[in-house]
Amino acid sequence: MDHLVKDFEVKEKRPGFVGTISSLISAKKTVVNALKSVSFSVDEGELVGFIGPNGAGKTTTLKILSGILYPTSGFVQVAGFNPWERKSKFLKQISLVMGQKNQLWWDLPAQETFTLLKAIYEIPTRRYKENLNELVDLLEMRKYLLVPVRRLSLGQRMRFELIAALIHRPKVVFLDEPTIGLDLIAQQKVRDFIADYNRRSKATILLTSHNMDDLVGLAKRVIVIDEGNIIFDGDLSELVGRHAKEKIIKISLSKTSNYKKLEGIGRIRSLKPPQVEIVVARSMAAVAAAEILQNFPVADLTIEEESIEDIIRKVFRGKNE
Amino acid sequence: MSKYLAVFKISFAQEFVYRLNFIMWRVRNVLQIFLIFFLWDSIFADPGRVVFGYDRAKILTYVFGLLIVRSIVLSTRTIDVPGDISNGDLTNYLLKPVNYFKYWFTRDLSSKALNLIFAALEAMLIYFLLRPPFFFQQNPAILLLFFLAVFLAVVLYFLMIFIFSTFPFWYPEQAWGSIFLLFIFTEFLAGGAFPLDILPPLAQKVIYSTPFPYLLFMPLQIYLGKISFLVGVKAVLIASLWVGILALILKLLWSFGLKAYRAEGR
Repeated sequence: MDHLVKDFEVKEKRPGFVGTISSLISAKKTVVNALKSVSFSVDEGELVGFIGPNGAGKTTTLKILSGILYPTSGFVQVAGFNPWERKSKFLKQISLVMGQKNQLWWDLPAQETFTLLKAIYEIPTRRYKENLNELVDLLEMRKYLLVPVRRLSLGQRMRFELIAALIHRPKVVFLDEPTIGLDLIAQQKVRDFIADYNRRSKATILLTSHNMDDLVGLAKRVIVIDEGNIIFDGDLSELVGRHAKEKIIKISLSKTSNYKKLEGIGRIRSLKPPQVEIVVARSMAAVAAAEILQNFPVADLTIEEESIEDIIRKVFRGKNE
Repeated sequence: MSKYLAVFKISFAQEFVYRLNFIMWRVRNVLQIFLIFFLWDSIFADPGRVVFGYDRAKILTYVFGLLIVRSIVLSTRTIDVPGDISNGDLTNYLLKPVNYFKYWFTRDLSSKALNLIFAALEAMLIYFLLRPPFFFQQNPAILLLFFLAVFLAVVLYFLMIFIFSTFPFWYPEQAWGSIFLLFIFTEFLAGGAFPLDILPPLAQKVIYSTPFPYLLFMPLQIYLGKISFLVGVKAVLIASLWVGILALILKLLWSFGLKAYRAEGR
């Protein structure tokens, strides 16, 4: 197990068939190229974020990597296995977590599902107990173990889903929108937990999310995918550096002033007197700030980076123009 | 093996969650038996009357035997499979080192075990209420053949449902239609509504060339001693042949289906 090589080589071309059967007489079929030609590899123990708009092919990629979807063509290898063969040895090493669906037995307490999973993954009793105890404590879910799943809140259920997905200590984890629908506190808990799991188990984690906080908090490396193609693959900081051409100056004015005059300095992004946000070119930030301080009654001033969300949006917009 | 023992246990626990549902389903079963019982009872109101070669005692025995065999063969959880495929829940199983067929067969067995317990209680109840003339088979060889036929019927029905469940791989919107079709065929062609040997010979011949009669009718015929031991053996062999054919069809359909599977809703 020490010599486990974890190179993902993915070169896929996957036109998924979306057969729209509009009528029984004329069956019309449209071919959707969910993934056009996607190639990347991930090292053991890496935590990589997947970003892209809806329908970009993020989930499709994860599904192919976990052996659920059959790739139309191309070469896929995960932990030395061809996922599609779904060998027991492979399945015992991976896990796929989807924020939108669950595997817990809805009418029974979560404990029952875990007992079943212990049998399915053939986890030795001692290791199972260790794993379960650790996971339950980390996510603070011990007191809910015997409550029927249907009575749990979404956040509680999601945390149990995570436990269920990790009870067999997978070496490769695919997380699809793990924080979807959770409140901020629950999101942070799940994020901390993922980072912790990655560190402790030296597990390789691929994560997709719409939630930029997930990525900033977790992933060093990101892969940006759009319309079935990879458009960026590298450090998150590099992506930000390359596309963050502007800075945001946030000011709070001590008395009402002529806001119109601020337009001369930069683009006003939001105006909620006395708060003003002005977007200026990166290189001009210091000069602009000085000018504002000189000419306006400023109570407070900060210079901030653009949010990752804005940058990503720009990446996609830039590509389309 | 302990894998599937765990599946059996959780499935049994799950059945108990829907106690009311289960009781309703059992009540339906009993009412159905009463309905058929009284229908035939009134047709054979005159004790000397013989219709289609059945007198009162014989037909009532058939109906009564049907109660037990039905509970074993037709009670199933596998009907959830098309839903699994169509809404993407199949994904959960594909991700795990578990055989999807064995998984559902185990769940079927747990459902059948529960149903059998209740059917036995109901049978006793009905027996004391209606006092039907019931025939107790005592020949151990025939009993053995009967159990074998029932087991094959269980496997056969399992395969049939699974084959009809593969439609949503290609047409996820059509999850249930094909299964309902199967139910209707089963009700009539398996002998659930009436004994098949009351039909004209040609119709019988056609029906016997399908797998349906081996679900309910043939096992019952064997039990009741209505067919000779050798004919019974032949029926069991034909049922085995059908099991082989359907298993092969299912294997092919399933491997094509998985390639077309879109894991929707995920």
